[in-house]
Parts: sequence; C-alpha cells; structure tokens
Amino acid sequence: MRARATRLTAGVLFAAIVYLLAWAFDHSPYVLFALTLTLCYAIPAMALNLLLGYTGLVSLGHMGFAGIGAYVTALLMKKGGLAFAPSLLAGTLAAGLAGVLVGVPCLRLRGHFFIIVTLAVGIVLFLLFNNLDWLTGGAAGLPGIPRPRSIDLGVAVLDPRRPVGFYLAAATIFLLVFAIQYGLVHSDFGRSLAAIRQDETLAASRGVDVFAHKLAIFALSAAIAGLGGGLLAVFLRAVAPQSFGFLEDINLVLIVIVGGAGSLFGPTLGALLFIALPEALRIADSVRMLLFGLALLALALLAPRGLWGLALTAAQRLRGAQSAVSHAERS
Amino acid sequence: MGVTLTALLEQIANGTMMGAIYVLVALGLVLIFGVMEVLNFAHGVVFMAGGYACDFFFVHLFGNYPAVVILTMLTLALVGLALERAVFRRLRVNVPMQIVASLGLILMAQNAAVLLFGPSALQLSVPTVHSLIRVGDLSFTVQHVVVIVAAVAAIVLLQAFLHWTKLGIALRATSQNPDAARVVGIDPDRIYRITFAVSCALAGLGGALLGPLFLISPQMGDLPMLKGLTAIVLGGMGSIPGAIIGGLAIGIIEAVSTLFISTDYRDMVVFVILIAILLVRPWGLFGVRVRGEA
Amino acid sequence: MGRPFSAAVVSAMASLCVIASAGAAEKSVDIGIVGARTGPLAAAGKFQFNGFDLAVDAINKAGGVKIGNDTYKIALKIYDTHCNAAEGASAMERLANVDHVVVVLGEVCSPAAAAEAPVASDYSIPLILTVPTAPDLTKQGNTFLFRVNADTDQLNKALAAYIVEHRWSPLAFIAWNNDAGRGGVNGMKALLPKDIAIGYVGYFDVGTVDFSSDVTNIRKSGARAVMLLMDEEPGALAIRQIRDAGVDAQLVGTLAMGSDRFLKRVDAKYLDGMAQYNAFPPGAAAPRIVEFAKAYHAKFGEEAHGFAAQSYDGLMLAVKAMQAAGTASDGAAIKKALSAQSYDGVIGHIQFDGDNQAHPPVYVTQWCNDGTRKIDFPADMRSGCGGG
Repeated sequence: MRARATRLTAGVLFAAIVYLLAWAFDHSPYVLFALTLTLCYAIPAMALNLLLGYTGLVSLGHMGFAGIGAYVTALLMKKGGLAFAPSLLAGTLAAGLAGVLVGVPCLRLRGHFFIIVTLAVGIVLFLLFNNLDWLTGGAAGLPGIPRPRSIDLGVAVLDPRRPVGFYLAAATIFLLVFAIQYGLVHSDFGRSLAAIRQDETLAASRGVDVFAHKLAIFALSAAIAGLGGGLLAVFLRAVAPQSFGFLEDINLVLIVIVGGAGSLFGPTLGALLFIALPEALRIADSVRMLLFGLALLALALLAPRGLWGLALTAAQRLRGAQSAVSHAERS
Repeated sequence: MGVTLTALLEQIANGTMMGAIYVLVALGLVLIFGVMEVLNFAHGVVFMAGGYACDFFFVHLFGNYPAVVILTMLTLALVGLALERAVFRRLRVNVPMQIVASLGLILMAQNAAVLLFGPSALQLSVPTVHSLIRVGDLSFTVQHVVVIVAAVAAIVLLQAFLHWTKLGIALRATSQNPDAARVVGIDPDRIYRITFAVSCALAGLGGALLGPLFLISPQMGDLPMLKGLTAIVLGGMGSIPGAIIGGLAIGIIEAVSTLFISTDYRDMVVFVILIAILLVRPWGLFGVRVRGEA
Repeated sequence: MGRPFSAAVVSAMASLCVIASAGAAEKSVDIGIVGARTGPLAAAGKFQFNGFDLAVDAINKAGGVKIGNDTYKIALKIYDTHCNAAEGASAMERLANVDHVVVVLGEVCSPAAAAEAPVASDYSIPLILTVPTAPDLTKQGNTFLFRVNADTDQLNKALAAYIVEHRWSPLAFIAWNNDAGRGGVNGMKALLPKDIAIGYVGYFDVGTVDFSSDVTNIRKSGARAVMLLMDEEPGALAIRQIRDAGVDAQLVGTLAMGSDRFLKRVDAKYLDGMAQYNAFPPGAAAPRIVEFAKAYHAKFGEEAHGFAAQSYDGLMLAVKAMQAAGTASDGAAIKKALSAQSYDGVIGHIQFDGDNQAHPPVYVTQWCNDGTRKIDFPADMRSGCGGG
C-alpha cells in the first residue's frame, strides 16, 4: 500500500514536471521544439520498449507502424477535413490492425528469425509509402498538414498552432501512454510478459497462452507506435516516407536500447539523448554524424545496459559507498 | 506481355553476376554467424570500404587491378581483426548492443568516407570495364565475367580452407560446438579472430569487384548487405552451400522479376521472399531446424 | 626593457584600437542555409552550397551590401538536414530562434522543404528554395515560401513539347525512385498526348546503379526514345549500359547531363545526339552564363552546375529584396519586397507568380558528335554546336 502511494506521488510529480517545462521554456521556442520532438519519438519508443524490453521481442521494423499511423492521420485531416482527435484515433487503430495482420503469421518465429522478418516488414512498408504515389504522395510526401484547432478549456485557451500549445497537447498524450505503459508493466498481463521474456517454454508450462500474449502486446505496441506517428505528422506538418524507413527503424531500436530497455524511463531518456545530442552537436556540423556514431559505439562498449542501467549502477555505487562509510564509522 | 527467350537469358545472366556479389557478402555473413552467432549489420560498410580501398590503391599506388584487389582483401582482413578485437569480442552475447555498435560503425564509416573522399561517388576506370563481350543480342563487359570468376575462385579457396587445412577444420569444429572444440585444444578466440578476418576479406573482395562496374559511394554496401542477409536466410543460417545457392537465387530471381513487375518493386520482391521463407521454412534450404527456434 | 619598447607597445595597441573600431563599424547580416551535407544527396547539396559561397564571396569582396543607411557583410549559417523532414524543421527552428537569421535559402529534397516551410511562416522568415522540384510545395498557400527554380511541371512542359515535335514514340523512362524521379515521370505522363505511347517505366533507388533489367525491358518494348530522370552519376552508367547493350534509342537526359563534367564520365561517342533539358546550359554564349561559369571555374576548378546557378541567383535576389525593403531584420517586409522583385539572374528572368513560384527559362540542349552541345529550345536561343 505504502509502495503504491509513493509510486502515485512520483507519477504526479513526473507529470507536473513535464507540464511545468512548458512554462520554464515559454520564451525558448527552439528548446520547446526539441522537447516536443522528443515526446513524439518517445511514444513509439515506449511502444517498442513494451515489445523489446518487457517481452523480449526485437522488432526492427517498428517505425513502419508509426508510418501507418502518420499517413492515415495526415490523409484524414488534409484530404478528408476531419478533426484531429478522430483522425489520430483512426491512425492508431489502423496501425493496431496492421500489427495484428503482421503479428499472426510472424510471431511464431523466435530469436534471429523474428528480428529479420520484422526488418523485412519494415522495409516493405517503407517501399509502399514511397511507391504508392496516388495514395501517399509518394516520395515527395504530403506537405501542408493542418494543425489542430484551438481548444477552449474554460480557464485558458490551448492553441496547438503555437509551440506551447502543441507541447502541452503532446505532453498530455505522452503522459497517457506513459500511464498505460506503467499500468501494463505492473499488471498480471505484464508479469506474464516478463515470464515469456525469461523463458517461453517455462511460461507455457505454467499455463500462459504465449501466442495470445505476444499477439496482444504486438498489436498494442503497433497501435501506440501509430499514435506516435500521427502526432509526429501533425507536429511537423509534413509526412515523408524517409521518416519511416530502414534508418529510422534502427534509430528507434537504438533509442530504446541506449535509453535502457525494460525500464519505464529508458525510452524517454533515449529519445532525449537521440534528439538533444545531434542538435547540440550542430556546432560541429560537418562531423556531427561521425561523432554521434562514435558516441553510440562507446555506449555499446561501456554501458551494456543502456543509459538507465548506467544511472542505476551509479546510484547503487553511491549507496554502496555510503553504507561502507557508515559501516566504517560504526566499527 | 510476351517474354522473349533473349530477354529471359539476358536477365538470368545479369542475375548471375549480381548473384555472385551477393554470394560474397552472404559468405562473410554466414561465417560470422555460424561460428560466433553474431549478426554483423555493419557488413555493408566493410563492403563499401573494400570499394574505396580498391580505388585508393589503384589511383595512388599502382594501376594493376588484380594486385590491387588482393591488397584490398588483405587490408580488409586486418580491419576485420581490429573490429573483432575492439568491438565484437565484448558483445558476443549481447544482441541488442551488437545492433547499437553496428549502427555506430555504419554512421562513422559512411561519414568518414564523405569527409575523406567527398560526397560525389567515385568512378574507378579499369580496362576490363571498357571491353565488351557480345553474345548474339546480348552484350556484357569483361568485368561481369571477372566478377563471376573471382567469386568462384573465392568459394573454391574457402571450401579448400575449411575442409583441407587444420585451421579450417578447427573453425568448423568451433561453429558446431565451441566447448567441445576447447576440449580438443582449439582456442576459440583465435578462431573468432580468423573468422572475422576472412569474412571481412570476402566483403572487401565484393566491394573491389563491384566498384569499377558501378560507382563507389558511401551507401554502396547497404542494399548488398540486406540482400546477402536474405540469401543466408534462404540458404539456411549456418550453411555455406546455402549461402552460395541463396546468393545466386536472390540475384536471378530479382533480375527475372523485373520482366514481370515494375522495377521500383524489385527490392520489395526480395523482401517479400524473405518474409515468405521465414513464415514457411525459416531454417532455409540447407539449415538445421532447431527445436524451439521456429 | 626601456622606454622605446613600451612606446612601441603603446603605439601598436593604439593602432590596433583604430583597426578594431574601424572593423566594429562593419555590420553583418546572418542568412540561413539548409541542405544536404551528408547522406545520399550530398553530391547534389555540394553544388548548391558552392553557389551560395560564390554569391557571398562576390558580395563581400565588393565591400558588402548597402541596406538602408548601413553597409553589411553577408555571413552564412549552414545546417545539414540530410533530406529528413524532422531535421529540416529542427534546423529552421534553430535558425529562427537561436541564430536569428532574417532569411533562409536552399534545401535539396522536397520532403524536408515541406517540413521547413510552415516553420518559416511561423516566424515570418522568408524561405527561398533553390533546388526542390515537387510542384505541391508552393501550392499550400504559404506566403513566406518562395521558389527560384523551375518545378517538375515546368521542366516537363518544355520537354513534352520537344518530344511531341520529334514524334518520339514509344517513350521509355528510367527514373530515380524519389520525389524528383517519380514526380518527373508522373508529370510527363500527364502532359504527353495520347499519340506518344509510354513503353516502359523503370524506377531505381538512389544509390543503386544496376540498369541491366531496365535495358532488357527497354529493348523488349521497342522504345524509340529513353528518358533518364536522374543526376550525373547514375546517368553516366545508365547511358553506358544502354549503349553497350546495343540499344540505339534516342536518349533524353535531364538535370546536369548537358555539362562537360558529364562528358568526362561518359565518352562523346555515347552521348552523340542525346538531348536534355536544363535550367542552365553551361556553354551558352549569353554573357550572364559566361561570367558565372568563369567565376565558378576560378573558385572551384570545375564546370558550373545548374544547382549552383540557381542558388547564386537565390541569394542575390534575397539581398536585393533586403535593399528594396530597406531592412536587414524585418522578415515580413523582406517577404513583401521579394514578391515584387523582377530580377535578371544567371538562370534568366526571375519573377514570382501568385504562388511565389518563379518561371525561369527551361532549355533543351543536344550533344553533337564532337563533344560540344547546341541549344535547340527555346527557339530564340537556338545555337550551333559549341553554344550550349
């Protein structure tokens, strides 16, 4: 009971911080932009984390589902004139449906085979986005996606056409997904997923319907990725196939792994690093990507559990040092 | 749409040539996977480095293409040793971090290529690319033949190495059972080093052969890597004959498919095949089915 | 050390102060540039950056530009977007809010431009495109987005007229599988009349360079002409492979296939008779082109490229607009001035229509068998061999 109360306070505190950032950076639109972009990428990252970190399924084509969400949302808003909320919902559902269609045949595979098949699916989705000119605008993409209309909240007006307004809208969606992630992980369903990650055969022998669980989480993960994609489309006001291609697939996996797979904050931390670091490196523009590659390599070799793992290890060492000191003082 | 025999033959010939390239890439991938269980996504940039090294040596050292190709292979073998030592040795059991490290390497290598050689693709002019062979209606450059012959030579030498030399047999033993290999006195670490070196030499050979035929650019290895990956899945993840058959098959299927469907879907054909194999027969043509893996 | 030394130090410092204060009177205006420094289109991006460099050189060497009552030097703030929409938007946001530039130019890829345009409008910073060709970009009602170069529809119109005139049917295409290539094919298909049959359409991804399948299919389709929608590098290979396979069809090229640099990649015997459309015939006799080609060659040691010419004109135009508006800081005023500009640049006459799209002339040049070119279209610029 005590633990749950602490967790609840921590959650509220986290939400408050996320919202307060909007006021802290009210006069720095560039920082707000970077933060909003981070949130947009953190959502598909959290989706992938549910698969990779908690269930042990490495999906190398996950941005493809984000792309489905992006294109459906964009087309409904731009060509169909629909409002933001129903378009985003449609995008999310479309991505979830795609998740089911892909998951049913592919989830039978394990290990390296699953990785490769998801890679192939991701590339096929990219090629469809790029080649179906009549539907998706083809390689040039879809320009001119409108921002959502202002929402009157009574006490204030939320205008997503302005940086602060959109940040708040994105933050709300982000926190919602975070809460879903949290709820899932701490539920029975989540515990079954952890069991599947540890040892599938053992979990099955304990009565867990492995395939049903995998399919459910895959579809949910695809849907959330679609949600992130739709948000990204409306944020950038343009959709392009390259935003959902092979490099972006790998990028997403890196965000989750580098941030710390299997942790709640890992994906967000990873997204922050992957957005903030290249932007900060713009001062050395010509060698930016080279330095970034070097940073990734260093990370793989020095922090095998990702950034979150590094933070935890550091915290442990501190605690260990403190207890050693107090031990020494006592003796 | 009537498909003439000439068109079909031409595409089969084209496909065999590209297939030879895919075989070289696939062999490199399958060696590392078979022996070390590592999927080296950075294999594509090793291929690319082979292309650039070949160009550099040809232009700045001596203009003898065969000698330059051998030199390129040796250089990339050394690169392989360095990669194994510095990067992949520590990440053997950590698949997610292998992927992180691979992407780090890809970013560094491709951007280094741009910084060193400029963003424009390089055109390497060797005599074999300028002489043509005409067979009826079809025409090919001599380089096409060189690629196939070189690939065949590499395969024969590789098989000889694996079956007739102590080191090669030790390599195969390690891939089957690392612990048993240790018991009989084989040093797995030494085997891993050699595997990486041979694998990178093969990729470098691929890049050096393909470079003059087309263009040398930082992205030249990306698609061959993916097609090579498809080839080893088709052939069976640990099987060398599988890699050879798989590489050729992918090359030919890809070329022939363009007679029937639009070329912007050519790559899609390969990936759809990949998905189909994985769904129907994941252990490929010659692989061994492992219980619980598929 | 003694008096003479300290006296020397003092006078040195005094003169330094004089120099410093003279320098302090010099103002500079920051202009933002977005484009591809890395990634598959870095080669195209290089030409674009070269054009901007050349323009800045010309302006600053002449002492800067007089805007209002002050003289300004031009400083460029360049960011790499490698054809990525998110990077494009990031770069624009940074240029607007951190670097406080007054105008932005450049971009290579249409998708990145699509993401940059709304940001330009958000912060009232005119964005002048000099390379992307997707027609849709200037049709979104964004008054802060301008385009100096011809879009795909304009390029295709010129070429369609030329193809119809020569009755090259059936017509085959080999095109880049990106916005420029696909857009080009779709645009041409829409413009060509029914009696020009479309024989075969082949797409290839940027970076892949194996045209063997396309060559086979072109031969099968009996095409009388083949249109190549790609840049120099793959273009050289495609032409070689087509001709080496013994396919004799008329070749129709694009972008920079009408340049001596291209000739170096491919032998003259392969190119004989090929026609290409271009925004910039490097060998033309028009003084504006001759001067630019000389200056470009002097600085970069190679032949000028159309992207460089377009970018050069873009920056010059931006500066002219600032002068006309009398401000180096008011984006909205500069935008207004831009819309009203009528400018004769290297690529020809530049004037923006209601969509802020310019309509520079589009040329068709043709290779002669001695490695020189002639201009075949428009009729008033027709020349003999050596004049393209």
